[in-house]
Amino acid sequence: MTKTFIIAAMAATLGLSTAAAAADLVFTSWGGTTQDAQKTAWADPFTAQSGINVLQDGPTDYGKLKAMVEAGSVTWDVVDVEGDYAVQAGKAGLLEKLDFSVIDKSKLDPRFLTDYSVGSFYYSFVIGCNKDAVSACPKTWADLFDTAKFPGKRTFYKWSAPGVIEAALLADGVAPEKLYPLDLDRAFKKLDTIKADIIWWTGGAQSQQLLASAEAPFGSFWNGRLTALAETGVTVETSWEQNITAADALVVPKGTKNKEAAMKFIAAATSADAQANMAISTGYAPINLDSSAIMDEKIRMTLPDMQSASQINADMDYWAANRDAIGERWYAWQAK
Amino acid sequence: MALLTERDNTTVMGKIRPVRSRNFALTVPALLLLVVFFILPVLSLLLRSVLEPEPGLGNYQALLGSTTYLKIFLNTFSVSALVTVVTLAIGFPVAWALAIMPSRLSSIVFAILLLSMWTNLLTRTYAWMVLLQRTGVINKTLMGLGLISEPLPLVNNLVGVTIGMTYIMLPFIILPLYGVIRKIDPAILQAAALCGATRWQALTRVLIPLATPGMVSGALMVFVMSLGYFVTPALLGGTANMMLAELIAQFVQSLVNWGMGGAAALVLLVVTLALYAIQLRLFGTARMEGR
Repeated sequence: MTKTFIIAAMAATLGLSTAAAAADLVFTSWGGTTQDAQKTAWADPFTAQSGINVLQDGPTDYGKLKAMVEAGSVTWDVVDVEGDYAVQAGKAGLLEKLDFSVIDKSKLDPRFLTDYSVGSFYYSFVIGCNKDAVSACPKTWADLFDTAKFPGKRTFYKWSAPGVIEAALLADGVAPEKLYPLDLDRAFKKLDTIKADIIWWTGGAQSQQLLASAEAPFGSFWNGRLTALAETGVTVETSWEQNITAADALVVPKGTKNKEAAMKFIAAATSADAQANMAISTGYAPINLDSSAIMDEKIRMTLPDMQSASQINADMDYWAANRDAIGERWYAWQAK
Repeated sequence: MALLTERDNTTVMGKIRPVRSRNFALTVPALLLLVVFFILPVLSLLLRSVLEPEPGLGNYQALLGSTTYLKIFLNTFSVSALVTVVTLAIGFPVAWALAIMPSRLSSIVFAILLLSMWTNLLTRTYAWMVLLQRTGVINKTLMGLGLISEPLPLVNNLVGVTIGMTYIMLPFIILPLYGVIRKIDPAILQAAALCGATRWQALTRVLIPLATPGMVSGALMVFVMSLGYFVTPALLGGTANMMLAELIAQFVQSLVNWGMGGAAALVLLVVTLALYAIQLRLFGTARMEGR
């Protein structure tokens, strides 16, 4: 990663000797198809329009971000992070306040707005199933947690983050409006019942591989990864029943030397056009409220924001406040 | 080293010293580099373990007082020990075969060994994942042959970790063992046969004892390397057999709890250094004395 970054940086300095050297910007995200889409939908048009070159780095690493800020040598200018982390890191003093005279926040989804962050894109945890591999597909979280009705391995997101605990509680019959504060004891008890049948996925690509190979014929996935997998010819069934939404956020680490350019980049990335293009190529929903109006109707219908009937919004403030405590318990439970 | 071991120490010592100190001066730039870019950062992480979130030994108390973390320590040792034993069991016959086979053939085997060492670790681990999974080549073949009716659980568990790590560690035991076995005079084995030893006796009472230093130093190296292994257990193992390096990565990257990360790293470092000291004690000095 560092090596690609250095190579990219060298190539950029060589190629852009005429452009102002200080005008380069480093954007860090999670890699894979999502970052490719962010480059095409956000960075390339931004460079064409502003002349500011955007270098891609990744994957996002909270340890690295903290180390950069503490050491006062920040090389990441705009970072795509998880929504709950953005809230927490803002409070911990690791982020720059965003300049809302540059970024027009009136058009942005208020659910994902803080002083330090705006939404990047939003996604849902949905139930995915490889239809060719099994005779029946689970439709609800309760189904996915029912090993008698649906025997076999199932896959879930490995890291401590909004999504799996909520799914366990919903499967156990907790009403959506009573979800928060999360009843962790109850959630882990429910998770215990399927623990031996869980294969954890650590990243989007792995989740696709597990489903496509039917190593785990069903599980909980980021909706965009299922859209992408279906395009490769795998017969994927997606159940949006009680889909759990969470958002990624764009943040600027404290002490960046390119603060002004970073704000301009975020303004461009969250514009209606950029968000619409990102949504079209990834299947994630835009966080700009004007984007859906300019999108093709057919594509729009497949996005998480059209699945609001039984949608559950993960509570980012709750997660930000309890992230560390839940994380410790989560990993201890996994290792047990 | 070769010079030192072959000469008589007492006569050589006086002459060697000045040469040694001159050589040492040459290493100063490299040492400085190590201090600045390696030792200082490690020290600062270790310091955090007693300073964050508050000064004291709280992190160590939390680490050593929790049954979960103790389980991870125990698991780290047992997986490493298992990998070492399996690696040795496979590596010894291979090293022996390499030592006695015609050199043209052995150079091909070496090429294969080295090629696998030079291939990216992640690629090799993913390859194992594809081979071992329930719908992978191995399970499909076995089911196709009618040997099993249900896929064997070969990955996301201890079996997967052991296979993946053994594969990666094999060169580290074969190469030193090969060196030791090559140095054993074939005449010794002939002598054993002439004196009426069976093949088994020649193996267990002559060859293995002579190869023991190579086996132990190779095994210690594999064991120590396994203790700190990260990628392979993370990808081929389940969460139930998590190893220490994964725990450290979790503390540093996901939980951003550097105090606990530093504490776990120090525990790993102390254990590793202790094992290294044992290795030096048992074999380092013996070599220096030219035995």
